[in-house]
Amino acid sequence: MRVGVLGIGKTPHKIQHDKSLRDLVVEAGRAAMADAGVEPSDIQALYVGNCGSVGFNYENSTGLMSAHHLGLVPSGAVRVEAACGTGAWALHLGCTAILSGLYDTVMVLGAEKMNDLATVEGTSIIAQAADSKEEYFSGLTFPSGVALTARKYMQTYGLTEEDLAHTSVKNHHYGARNPYAHLRFECTVEEVMRSAKVADPLKLYEVCPMTDAGSALVLCREEILRDRPEVPQVYVTATQMATGTWYAATDTLADAHALLAAPAQRAYEMAGIGAEDIDVAEIYNSFAIQEPLGIEALGFAPQGEGWKGAADGSTWIDGKVGVNLSGGLLCKGHPLGATGSTQAVDIVEQLRGTAPEGMQRPDAEIGISACRGGPGAVGAIHIYQRLEG
Amino acid sequence: MTVSAIEFSRLGPPKLRLYAMRCTACGTLSPWWERHHCYHCGGSEMVEQELAGRGELTNYTVVHYPPRDFLGQEPYVVGHITMDEGVLIPAPVVGVAPEDVRVGTRVKATLRRMKLGHEGDIYYSQKFVVDEEAPAG
Amino acid sequence: MAELIRYGAYLPRYRAPLAEIQSFYGRPGRPRARALCTPALDEDALTMAHEAAGEALAGAEAPGTLIALTQSPPFGLRKLSATLARTLGLAAETVPIDLGGHAGGLLDALALASALARDGSPALVVASDHLVSHEERVCDLLSAGGAAAFLVGAAGGFARLGPAARAGREVYDVWRLGTEPEPRYRLEVLFDAYAATTTAALAELERQTERAAGDYAAVCPSQPHPQTLRGLGRAGVGPQQLEHTSFVGEIGNLGAASVGLALALGLDRAEPGQHLLALGYGGGEAIAQDIEVTAPSPAVGAAERIPGEAIDLSTYYRWTRGRQAEPH
Repeated sequence: MRVGVLGIGKTPHKIQHDKSLRDLVVEAGRAAMADAGVEPSDIQALYVGNCGSVGFNYENSTGLMSAHHLGLVPSGAVRVEAACGTGAWALHLGCTAILSGLYDTVMVLGAEKMNDLATVEGTSIIAQAADSKEEYFSGLTFPSGVALTARKYMQTYGLTEEDLAHTSVKNHHYGARNPYAHLRFECTVEEVMRSAKVADPLKLYEVCPMTDAGSALVLCREEILRDRPEVPQVYVTATQMATGTWYAATDTLADAHALLAAPAQRAYEMAGIGAEDIDVAEIYNSFAIQEPLGIEALGFAPQGEGWKGAADGSTWIDGKVGVNLSGGLLCKGHPLGATGSTQAVDIVEQLRGTAPEGMQRPDAEIGISACRGGPGAVGAIHIYQRLEG
Repeated sequence: MTVSAIEFSRLGPPKLRLYAMRCTACGTLSPWWERHHCYHCGGSEMVEQELAGRGELTNYTVVHYPPRDFLGQEPYVVGHITMDEGVLIPAPVVGVAPEDVRVGTRVKATLRRMKLGHEGDIYYSQKFVVDEEAPAG
Repeated sequence: MAELIRYGAYLPRYRAPLAEIQSFYGRPGRPRARALCTPALDEDALTMAHEAAGEALAGAEAPGTLIALTQSPPFGLRKLSATLARTLGLAAETVPIDLGGHAGGLLDALALASALARDGSPALVVASDHLVSHEERVCDLLSAGGAAAFLVGAAGGFARLGPAARAGREVYDVWRLGTEPEPRYRLEVLFDAYAATTTAALAELERQTERAAGDYAAVCPSQPHPQTLRGLGRAGVGPQQLEHTSFVGEIGNLGAASVGLALALGLDRAEPGQHLLALGYGGGEAIAQDIEVTAPSPAVGAAERIPGEAIDLSTYYRWTRGRQAEPH
């Protein structure tokens, strides 16, 4: 498959009290359309990824709101939701829309505004992405549910909290260089270990902040991008989705691995490449432990060794594969509905060679984004390639 | 989170007793929320089975940033308890300092007040305490 | 005469520092209790009743009646006893009955249970209270929480529930108007009424049983305040009779569960052939009952539960203050 990425755009990812949800939507959407050199009337369908506007913003029907305020009326628009995998699902639907032949040009847009409410309210709303009626009856929150996975991982492979702390060090190194990131400071292993406890064993520097953001991509049929040679020739060449258990109680390490490994395998086959061909990867890491798990699932390291790359350099900018050179969700934050679309935007930037200095991997040609959601419920893999000629 | 007293009535009986769901096809026990579907075999008929209330703490975390219903209790331990019947139940572990919790500790169920529903309907459920009667080690 | 078959007692593990609470509110004088037995945020009269009832029921046949009494129900207009029965997995045949009203109600409940218990169908009595008073009132009311439960049968028990005598007068000592969340109190009236009505009830009981107050192996009284125990001396009760059944100076006032815990402490140590005196008091009424131990008691070790785990002032304040602010 080849779906052309005609344009990309994003807002800063941080607390933005001066911007509403629709302000973020309009800013991201207009940036993507300007980058693509298209008018609103060129967008034939809009897929808006937004996870929690009913809770965070007391508003619903985010897709319709976005179509109106972006000037996309009368094209079709819909809101897409799949927990933290929402943005990736919007991308998937945008790709399938193009591949179906029914559409020439569509826009994929993720947006979330999380910071109008206090943390305790936000935590409770995020909990609704899992079974907040039943499993979270037990006092679990998202951080604590993932913390259980972190402890299982450490127990299974005989690891210490210091071993896992390297992931945060790497992400913060690149987050400090990302002008769009929420958190822009470097840190050491000692500072990670000393940071405040959130849910044992996860500490503050191992969990993402709550962020306001929007990000968008204009997608088109392959021929349309080919006819625009001045636009970097970046295509989505695979899109594979999966579900897993919706409960932390039934989410074993094997389940966590399979959630991404199975669609990743299908995606590699779909794109005709292997793990060894990947130059850059955006791996969902709202909590640090998810990066090693994702590295293993994508085939970059054996199970139990995914944490090593952050310590030995092999997942840094000049390592075997550059993982989360944007600073990951740990630094960009996790604006629920926008995370998956921002991952795509950031990979496209890498393949275009337009990422900021200190983050740009030289000669990046093939990238992958792995997004996940819920306790173990959503897996989403996209592969992107720069294909000249 | 619960919406109203209507939802409370629909949930009945609420979790006044500790139970799991047994699949009539394969016999596997699943946590109490699996009323519709057996995650192990795909079976669609699940029946309630009361649990004796004793088990082993096989994993745990300590929550420092609670959701609204648990404000004031932090830091609190949430455990994955493998019950003697084999099913894994998530629940808070109380009456022990978070730094004293160990994987492998034997625990037993106790009744506690979980939360106040939206309309003043009170939810009770099981939390766990260290089982003092269990043999040490 | 009905018999006690088994019993149970539950005390929350946390002990709040009354001296610091008093100091915080600028109250002079020596604290009247060492600590206040404080239920955690996730405990209430129902959860504590469940624990005590579970201990009393362990291994026993399901009761035909469950009588619950409390002055601090988590909810009104619906039965605590019914929800409690469900938490215990009791059959639909167990009739749930709620009693309320006064702190000495456990003995009313034992009287009711005695009448209802039949061969093969005992009655379970559960007293539970979670007293919460705020600001400096806690320094006077010594508000604490706990629960006790007693399984009463027509036969087959270890102790016989003997004659009971009552005396009462119309007083306002500790009371609450119908629309108010917190108790009002007049300690002077409490001490006076407790002493007077107990003396009268004990005299009447002696007339019925020909056993003087001083002749019981132990006296198991309601104890809303240490001063009330001192008043018993004037009614012929000796300090050695209260030695193992006094706890208010250690952990505070347990309301309706108070006489229940005292009785559990007494029963734990009782030998066959001994008589215990249960003494309930509340709202101007004293009830005195003779209990004859006929077999070794199924002791629960209540005394070991009196010491607990210290909590600091800020924890106590958060756990009790918050309940005033939000519906509980």
